[in-house]
Amino acid sequence: MSADTVRAHSAEPSASAIRFEGVTKRFGELRAVDALDLEIEKGEFFSLLGPSGCGKTTTLRMVAGFEQPTEGHIYLDGEPVETVPPYRRNVNTVFQSYALFEHLDVADNVAFGLKRKKVSSDEIRTRVAEALELVELHGREKARPRELSGGMKQRVALARALVNRPSVLLLDEPLGALDLKLRKQMQVELKGIQREVGITFLYVTHDQEEALAMSDRIAVMEHGLVKQCSSPEDIYEHPSGPFVAGFIGTSNLLSGVVENGCVKLASGATCVAEVPSDCPQGAEVHLSVRPEKIWLDELEEGMVEVGGTIVERVYVGTTTQVIVELGPGMRVTALEQNVARARSDDRWQIGDRVRLGWHREHARVLR
Amino acid sequence: MNENRFASGFLVPPGVWLLLLFVVPLVLVLALSFGYTDDLGEAIYSTRLDNYERLVDPDYLPVLFRSVGFALAAVVLCLLIGYPVAYYIAIFGGRWKNVLIALVVLPFFVNYLIRTYAWIAMLGDDGLVNGLFDSSIRFLNTPYAVIGGLVYGFMAFMILPIYASLDRMDPALIEAGKDLYGGPWQTFLHVTLPHTMQGVLAGSLLVFLPAVGDFVSASLLGGPEEVMVGNLIQQQFQASDNWPFGAALTVAMMAFLMIFMLFYLRAAARETREATA
Amino acid sequence: MSTVESRPTAPARPAAEPARAPGRPPKEFDRPRFLKLFMGVFFLFLFAPIVLVVLFSFNSSRSLQDFQGFSTRWYETFFESESLRESLVASLEIALVTMVIGTILGTMLAYGLVRARTRVSSSLNVLMLVPLVTPEIVAGASALLLFTQVKLELSLTTIILAHITFSISYVTVVVRARLVSLSHEVEEASMDLGATRWQTFRLVTLPALWPAVVAAGLLVFALSFDDFVLSFFTTGESPQPLPVRIWTQIRFGVRPTINAIGTFMLVISVVSIGLALLLPRLFGRRESGLKVLLGREAA
Repeated sequence: MSADTVRAHSAEPSASAIRFEGVTKRFGELRAVDALDLEIEKGEFFSLLGPSGCGKTTTLRMVAGFEQPTEGHIYLDGEPVETVPPYRRNVNTVFQSYALFEHLDVADNVAFGLKRKKVSSDEIRTRVAEALELVELHGREKARPRELSGGMKQRVALARALVNRPSVLLLDEPLGALDLKLRKQMQVELKGIQREVGITFLYVTHDQEEALAMSDRIAVMEHGLVKQCSSPEDIYEHPSGPFVAGFIGTSNLLSGVVENGCVKLASGATCVAEVPSDCPQGAEVHLSVRPEKIWLDELEEGMVEVGGTIVERVYVGTTTQVIVELGPGMRVTALEQNVARARSDDRWQIGDRVRLGWHREHARVLR
Repeated sequence: MNENRFASGFLVPPGVWLLLLFVVPLVLVLALSFGYTDDLGEAIYSTRLDNYERLVDPDYLPVLFRSVGFALAAVVLCLLIGYPVAYYIAIFGGRWKNVLIALVVLPFFVNYLIRTYAWIAMLGDDGLVNGLFDSSIRFLNTPYAVIGGLVYGFMAFMILPIYASLDRMDPALIEAGKDLYGGPWQTFLHVTLPHTMQGVLAGSLLVFLPAVGDFVSASLLGGPEEVMVGNLIQQQFQASDNWPFGAALTVAMMAFLMIFMLFYLRAAARETREATA
Repeated sequence: MSTVESRPTAPARPAAEPARAPGRPPKEFDRPRFLKLFMGVFFLFLFAPIVLVVLFSFNSSRSLQDFQGFSTRWYETFFESESLRESLVASLEIALVTMVIGTILGTMLAYGLVRARTRVSSSLNVLMLVPLVTPEIVAGASALLLFTQVKLELSLTTIILAHITFSISYVTVVVRARLVSLSHEVEEASMDLGATRWQTFRLVTLPALWPAVVAAGLLVFALSFDDFVLSFFTTGESPQPLPVRIWTQIRFGVRPTINAIGTFMLVISVVSIGLALLLPRLFGRRESGLKVLLGREAA
């Protein structure tokens, strides 16, 4: 648990929207969630990010009430919720599969939660219209779910949840089934809606780009544990460990040993680096450098330098990935923007020797 | 209330019902099979094996064998007739597949009794056929009539599963088989038949089970030489009022069928394994 | 059987060959001609008795050998006979009650088997399947024994009890197939939105299951209406359901009224199965009832 998660408890502990206290969930032998301590603030867009099986969905389901923690406590708005069934919690969920009611039309779908609360039919009408406006589905009240596209179904699911004005909205990989373009569009829209409505969003995803784009804070999870919990910039620029560095964005992880305040790579080269105090001489570490921070050939003063041979070039439209081998089994990916001036296939051929460099502060030493 | 408890509640009424009205009666039958009838004609529960000894009597054993024999004959005939029908509809049916299958199934909506009775009407000594050809051929009261009745009665149960498995089969397999084996018969034996084995087994079971216990066909279309175990059981419970013996017959029949089912399940499981391998 | 003339089996088929629609026969393979003939004979034998029954139900004479003119007298005899009318009503009553109760119990069992995980689940599952493979005569005899043991007099009630017992399995199988394809998330969504488990069942699960429930119900209706053996063993003196009456009439010889009764029953059965196949469409869903009965696809 990094220093980032230690929050100064305000005078009213109930200020947080969701609080996890030592929450563990076991399925038989498996620990899906392991001693989770987390506090999510009101109005935050908070993401749980991690690969499949890391426990993020289980955590979400515990907040919704579909799973019960084996150990620990969950507090919603300061109140413990172990004994509260899902239908009495002031949270609503948007499911990845949308889970719309096929036998009801859009308006009845959206109104479902309100009807359970016995809201008056006039108020229902108004609020349903509001919700549909918010998700830009106005005019579609009478449509049936099977007539709608994936994106539209997602909006109905969103409206159906938001119309109840929950204190927390839970989203379980809601954009997973959409195509790339639509996904990007919906990401922007969702962020906008969250800002407009001001509700706390707890968002689960395995797509780190998505999490980085939308979240106020991200908790990166692996094997049921939170590896790092912080803002997107912080996680990206200062990953706390090799897993986070590898999972968020792409990173080069060069294995090496601490030697006299520098890192000696397995390939033999020695790099000047900012070695943290808890890495003594001889400690095995990873040097983590983002590909876009690596310069090729035309280096600046004071940069850390290594040499290598180009083994591959991958053109991806906006950038070109240049893969350089520093030594046996050690490869580094550098990213070059394909700006109009120089064309990479003129500059580098496979087999060329090239110099790589980065600023010292752009490399992290991780254990 | 958690989900398990909520949903388990639903199991109680039907579970209790099946227990009381299905399991208990079967247990009673089993128990009664060890009983006897006293002088007043009352059925008494006991622990005697007399009824089972009677089963292997020369009076009764042939009836049991005959039932199995007739049922097997019915299965074979249903297979020989039903498979080509299913094959035609599945492979050559085209647009008319659904219509054809519906036509095949339609007669089975006529009550089994009526259908059997129709054969009496047709094949009886005063029946249509004898009238048309001015003949007096004895069709009824023969084993062939009874087997025919069984075949006619349960044909749909053979055709539908085979049709389903043929329909599910990729026609390209037959093409490939043709390339591989050359002749249509070879292709059928090595490609089509193995792939539809599950349907064949299912259909055979669905015909065999009711056929063994049937008494309608034997009663209406057959004579005293064609008595089946179903007739015997029916007689014990209604005419002769010898319920304990009837119970023993029932138990014997059930036991035999269960053994048969075991073989079927094992064969079906093997088919599934081989099919997915 | 002539040998298949060799055709180039080169991967590139000649462009002239038309694109094959799925299910079209492989060419120069089987001789459909022989099969076609076989089919013709088959349908002839299949329908001959039916046609006979229906045709001669309108025969003006008693004869089964000559059709002497169109008449509805046998239907009149059927409907004018008070006892036969009673039997018809009895059959319909039995079928309706069996349909309602059997469907309720069968649906409950399906839901419990799919959504609950208990120690008895697998045994209950087997228990549910056994009636399907139990010969009717065993069913009838055992039911009769039970009713006699508990000193319950044989009547319509006993028939209904027996019918329900054996209809539950059919309903469970049909409904279960559909329930399994229903996503669990939809029920979770319902609870998430504030519906209790019972409300969820009523407002979300049941409506989604409805086509299967209806189809199963109509299936049970048809099966019960047509049933003979079970009814035969569990019937009282009077009224007796129609199939039992038919049996007695046949035993006493061939009577033309039977043709009329049989044709009438055929119509009832066809109508109810037809409804079972068509009603799901009328409910505004696009799936055919046949698919529902066979358990493929949910909405």
